Amino acid sequence: MPKLALRRLQSVAVLAIVMLALSACGKDYPNSTFSHNTELNTLAVFLWDRMLLLGTIVFVVVEVLLVYTIFKFRRREGGPAPRQIHGNAALEITWTAIPALILVFLAVPTVRTIFETQRKAPDGAVQIEVIGHQWWWEFRYPQYGIVTANEVYLPIGKTANFSLRTRDVLHSFWIPQLGGKRDLIANRTNYLWFTPKSDLTSSAWNGACAEYCGASHANMRFRAFTVTPDEFEKWVAHQKTLAIGSPAAAAAAAAAADTGKGAKALPVKMAAMPGMPGMAGMHDMPGATAAAAPEAWVYPLERMKAYTLPTTPLPATPFDESLLAAGNAVAGRAIVTNLAKAPCLTCHNIKGETQYLTDDQAKGPNLTHVGSRHTFAAGLYRTDAKALALWIKNAPAMKPGSAMPTFGTGEYNAMLKMKVSAGGLDDRQIADVVAYLMSLK
Amino acid sequence: MAHPGAPAHATGAAQTGEQTGLWIWLTTVDHKRIGILYLYTALFYLMVGGIEATIIRTQLAKPNLHVVSAEFYNQLFTMHGTTMVFLVIMPLSAAFFNYLIPLQIGARDVAFPRLNAFSYWVYALGGLFITLPIFFAVAPNGGWFGYAPLSGPTYSPGFNMDFWVLGLQILGISSLAAAFNFITTIINMRAPGMTLMRMPMFTWMSFVVQFLVILAFPVITAALFFLQVDRFFGTQFYEVAAGGDPLLWQHLFWVFGHPEVYILILPAFGLVSEVLPTHSRKPLFGYNVMAYSGIMIGFLGFGVWAHHMFSVGMGPVADSIFSVATMLIGLPTGVKIFNWIATMYGGSLRFPTSMKFAIGLIAMFTIGGISGVMHSSPPSDLQQTDTYFIVAHFHYVLYGGAMMGIFAGIYHYYPKMTGHFMSETLGTWQFWLNFIGLNLTFFPMHFSGMLGMPRRIYTYDAGQGWDLFNMMSTVGTYMLVLAGVIFAVNFFRSRKRGPLAGNDPWGAPTLEWSIPSPPPDYNFAEIPEVTSRYPMWDLKSPERTAGIEHSHADSATITDAHAVPMHEETERKTAAELGIPMPFNTVKPFCVALGLIVMMSGLIVLHAGKTPLALAIMLGGTAFMVGSLYAWLTSPLE
Repeated sequence: MPKLALRRLQSVAVLAIVMLALSACGKDYPNSTFSHNTELNTLAVFLWDRMLLLGTIVFVVVEVLLVYTIFKFRRREGGPAPRQIHGNAALEITWTAIPALILVFLAVPTVRTIFETQRKAPDGAVQIEVIGHQWWWEFRYPQYGIVTANEVYLPIGKTANFSLRTRDVLHSFWIPQLGGKRDLIANRTNYLWFTPKSDLTSSAWNGACAEYCGASHANMRFRAFTVTPDEFEKWVAHQKTLAIGSPAAAAAAAAAADTGKGAKALPVKMAAMPGMPGMAGMHDMPGATAAAAPEAWVYPLERMKAYTLPTTPLPATPFDESLLAAGNAVAGRAIVTNLAKAPCLTCHNIKGETQYLTDDQAKGPNLTHVGSRHTFAAGLYRTDAKALALWIKNAPAMKPGSAMPTFGTGEYNAMLKMKVSAGGLDDRQIADVVAYLMSLK
Repeated sequence: MAHPGAPAHATGAAQTGEQTGLWIWLTTVDHKRIGILYLYTALFYLMVGGIEATIIRTQLAKPNLHVVSAEFYNQLFTMHGTTMVFLVIMPLSAAFFNYLIPLQIGARDVAFPRLNAFSYWVYALGGLFITLPIFFAVAPNGGWFGYAPLSGPTYSPGFNMDFWVLGLQILGISSLAAAFNFITTIINMRAPGMTLMRMPMFTWMSFVVQFLVILAFPVITAALFFLQVDRFFGTQFYEVAAGGDPLLWQHLFWVFGHPEVYILILPAFGLVSEVLPTHSRKPLFGYNVMAYSGIMIGFLGFGVWAHHMFSVGMGPVADSIFSVATMLIGLPTGVKIFNWIATMYGGSLRFPTSMKFAIGLIAMFTIGGISGVMHSSPPSDLQQTDTYFIVAHFHYVLYGGAMMGIFAGIYHYYPKMTGHFMSETLGTWQFWLNFIGLNLTFFPMHFSGMLGMPRRIYTYDAGQGWDLFNMMSTVGTYMLVLAGVIFAVNFFRSRKRGPLAGNDPWGAPTLEWSIPSPPPDYNFAEIPEVTSRYPMWDLKSPERTAGIEHSHADSATITDAHAVPMHEETERKTAAELGIPMPFNTVKPFCVALGLIVMMSGLIVLHAGKTPLALAIMLGGTAFMVGSLYAWLTSPLE
């Protein structure tokens, strides 16, 4: 058996490797790191290519020598005794010196690139604060007063300068198509900057947490959108507003209409005053009337490629879906904004509703424009009524370890290890809340 | 330990008299028996770690699969790494240290036989301590690297990481005790004429490894101690809220963690350096350079730890220094590869299973070595770190390198340990399944990693371009499982059924092959006098060693059978008949180890809030440990 079987196995091995090499070419790899979408990644790919070339040469030399030796010097019956060589200084110096030389060709560009990529970001960059949470991403644009979650917009041709912090454990910020990763370290701020190349078209990319951070590390994803400067301006203008269509925005519009052109005259400080629903955030809206509100713009859903849309299956949590169509946003808002009914606003901020928390205190994602985000729960699910309803009903069942409590009456709360009874929300109430959240475009 | 490979059979009845049974194995201080205990225990944990890996790969076979929960998956990958590093590869190396070092240097035992038993029992019981929780789904879940602050009390409030912290502390004690023991043994107990530069290469690599252990383990011990008091007594070394520094943990961990890689791989390099010359009928090419390069790897290994941390933002100067240092370590490693090939080149090659695995190591470790150099360039590494590319890399090093070398060692030394050969047919099947399986498992991971798949994720989305590679990896894993089963069958069947081997079945050059298989408890009836690196070839094939310097101009001593006692024809005698004093068997090292584990377990009870019970357990354990230690120290060795 052995000889023939061995030969067969050998050919299987060769075939497998060839097939693998073939399968790696010519297909679409949406998260490939071999891209030239940013200057940063072009530098990384240059080094990779050089290493792959040098590494392949070394690999081929070693393996060819090895295989040649194995076949050439197999023992033969009655063959001569081997010549006894115990070493050869010249040879050994040679095969130390040649790799050393190879390493010089690697070390010099490496060190040069390290210093080049770790300079300070150029002036005029878009500043983006990235804050890691177990297990979602907070993105802030301090230049524009925007706080959002799990979807980050980057203008093409302009440097994005990320400052990276974490609220809890270590995370790592990574958009494979746009460049290497950088860790989020507690008690420190890290930096990473890159510039989406100007010839890039408006596109969506997948991002992920790359540092193990606990139960839902695998579920800590996000989307990055590289958009044209025009689109970016539109997105920023929209993000600065209250949520269009939200009752709060409607109330604000009505209030503005009542006082004529009084919106501008509203004292800015009112924004921070508790007990003034509908007024917070007004200072961001010069001439805040519904008519003057900028066109709502987010990256259009129809341009999202399939691989940027999550496929996580929904759990089997029962939900009466017929209720969703009849959800009442006003009733939903009454639940969300009433702390006695639901503690939503003790973790989440919604610009336009009473804010009990500073941005730094908020433990949950900012929901101001949650209805216009394409995904929620750190990019784990599509933002649609059913997924949101199941999420509110029992979030930890959809994302292990999630700090979002279980609200559905009768649902099992894994954290408290008991069923939710009093104080829970029934399916109708959840449908109302969903209607409200979906209205937060 | 139900059926330790008690090598009692027709020709080997002289091994420790006729003693078998549980009590003997519990009390033995014979380095060979302890080596066999290490071997069996480590193979048991290999099975545990392998099952963990199989569940992991089953979960990842397809996108969005949920064979196990996220929480349990995290326990599985944490325990897979912890098990394979601390409970499998290190102890498998320890099995060979124990069994071979005294035989290779011509000694009757290690320097401290009872300390040796203690090391083993601490390992075996500590292994259970850290392994058992997985059966109750409370296993460590913070990764084998245990990064703070996730491993601290705030973010891991459960018992899970308690087991990890304490378990690693316990295992560290075992490794440190063993390392001091082997260093003392190698320095003091070499046979007359066995100069350092005549030591077999396995002993040389082992010698280097012991120094790595005594230099690296104190660092992890200190790091773990900080975490331990953070977890149990509320100190704040790593607690973020109190201004603690999570990077302190990373630096300390990798100052240990990188040398640890060489602790895992150098023994395998040593084993391969024994197998290759034997089956090439040629001495090791460039013996001196092989020894020096091992030392060099060990030395440089302490200066490259931060290459595990290029993404933490250390700044360009630190990044550059650690980058270049990492590239440098490729040089001595490359020298070893070329010297092994040169050893075979021009030889007369025979390919028993051990040789196949040894060649497999050269072929596969080269891949891991090259991808290792690829990580040394930080701008590029930032795309590689924490992805499956890294998983591919270190599995080529640890499976393609360390495990291949260890399998080579097992097939090579099995006849010495049991007196019987393992089956070559099954061995050949195992080798090819291992070889193809490991490439099928780990080669696609290079692709999935560079195509954006992060590590340590319990599931992934469909349509990311990773499906095919993951399926291949999973299929490969099942092949490795099959290879493992074949190995197990071969290993257990051959103990009695394998063909008889005799003293020197392979025509090998070193001292351990001069004595019977399995060796008598006293190893050498007379301590041999060594005159060269290859005493057995001096005796049997002097033409092979003619070019090598010998200590005695008088070649008569070389061929004098008296210098290298050959037991083939002589009837075995017991130690008593020969008047050789042997250390007494004693259960005290086991008792000390047991007391240590009980004492440590008390901390878990303390965490559970049962303070009086915890104190009782800790004090009880301490009393038992100290009492046993006192009895140990006051009882005579032999």
